[in-house]
Amino acid sequence: MRLKRGVAAVATLVATSAFAEGDVEYGEYLSSECVACHSVRGDDKGIPSIVGWDPEAFVAVMKSYQLKERLNPTMQVIAGSLDDEQTAALAAYFSTLSPQKN
Amino acid sequence: MASLSRRKFVGLLAAGTAAGTLSMPYVARAANPKVVVIGGGAGGATAARYIAKDAKGAIDVTLIEPSKRYYTCFFSNLYLGGFRDYESLGHSYEGLAANGGVNVVHDWASAVDADAKSVRLASGASLGYDKLVLSPGIDLKYDSVPGYSPEAQSRMPHAWKSGTQVQLLKNQVQNMKQGGTLVMVAPPDPFRCPPGPYERVSMIANLLKQSNPSAKIIVLDPKEKFSKQALFMEGWEREYTGMVEWIPASIYGSIVSVNPETLEIETDLDTFKPDVATVIPAQKAGAIAALAGVTDGDWVPIVPASMQSRANPDIYVVGDASVASAMPKSGFAANSQAKVAANHIRGELTGSRVFPASFANTCWSLISPENGVKVGAKYAAGEEAIEATDSFISQTGEGADLRKATYEESVGWYDSITSDMFS
Repeated sequence: MRLKRGVAAVATLVATSAFAEGDVEYGEYLSSECVACHSVRGDDKGIPSIVGWDPEAFVAVMKSYQLKERLNPTMQVIAGSLDDEQTAALAAYFSTLSPQKN
Repeated sequence: MASLSRRKFVGLLAAGTAAGTLSMPYVARAANPKVVVIGGGAGGATAARYIAKDAKGAIDVTLIEPSKRYYTCFFSNLYLGGFRDYESLGHSYEGLAANGGVNVVHDWASAVDADAKSVRLASGASLGYDKLVLSPGIDLKYDSVPGYSPEAQSRMPHAWKSGTQVQLLKNQVQNMKQGGTLVMVAPPDPFRCPPGPYERVSMIANLLKQSNPSAKIIVLDPKEKFSKQALFMEGWEREYTGMVEWIPASIYGSIVSVNPETLEIETDLDTFKPDVATVIPAQKAGAIAALAGVTDGDWVPIVPASMQSRANPDIYVVGDASVASAMPKSGFAANSQAKVAANHIRGELTGSRVFPASFANTCWSLISPENGVKVGAKYAAGEEAIEATDSFISQTGEGADLRKATYEESVGWYDSITSDMFS
């Protein structure tokens, strides 16, 4: 799931108000669990990048794992363990990062 | 924001240092709290990196690790099976020192004085600490297998701490006579990497299938069941038909003795005379944990919410050495526990926010080329123990596409988690 830079910027602006409650500092702590598998630099070899997503998309994808619409069992368990506050915090934090080119 | 002014100040400090200013203007720096981390593996490297990264200069972090280059135990089976070269398992500490602000000391921690809060190094130096993190991994209980010893490990490699032992075992497998037999003595619970022995069997079988297809592998297992058993057994039957025989203790009884000279393994059932033998003995916390006075029996009981040892709240213990209850002894688990400890330590020392402990683990195993499986769980800190809240496991009969995706996931995970530890 990749957004073009311009689209991502607009989406971030919109989302900042919609997800104003996302606690970035809490999100950073929780993110340490995500980056054990998802590259913090935004690499997507074998495991998708989750860096720089707009928060709404992030929350929507986590919801679809919670509902088991998306099938990866690891992510079903991880997403299923998060409440709305934690999901919003993660969404807010990951939206502050951007992929790094090697 | 305090963190911004801190960053600016550190910038000024760096500029001052670069200009050759010897008198440090930052008086508070002398009073920085000190954290010492013993052991630069999955748990220790992660703890050191996260404390230093998140404290942004407010905590002095020293990592004590004898090796200049660390070879991961996780994925060493893939080297054994011919899927990775040995150097791809190696990681230096230069990134932690350069980017992470961690003071890396290549020395051996020989003692901990918990009353004086100091660590003695083999070089003779002493380091004071406010909080100590122990991540010493495992020591082997050689005498748990009669006849086995540190001297026997060159003839019967355990290969359970990565490094040269794994290279030795691979060499012995590759040089085994045509149609020869390899016997593995598997370890009793609890041990590092629960699916590891069985992934090792798979990887050795993969190697032999190509160069020595009439060879046999026999596993003598003190346990009656093992991690991902149905998945491994399905894989062995399908991919390595007739090559692998797993024998639990209910059949062989006990191991009477192993003989490193003749490689004979005598059990109540029979005496096995393999051409290659790998003996993985019982395990315990790395020796420094007992020296620090935090062990109860072989392992270190911890407080689940913080990873503090039960015996001493200033000594945190992460990774294989700890009693993490439902969590397996794995590199992934050690990395996860280290982040909980790091968050708690920073809160204790600087007053930063401490968030509820959250733990996760996934163990991937490779059965045959592009045939990966996984097991994992989420955990929460109970009062007495770390408890699993939800879990997942690959299923038997899965299609090749899913197994390939699972394998590729594991390769991506390796890159991410090692960068999360060592960059």
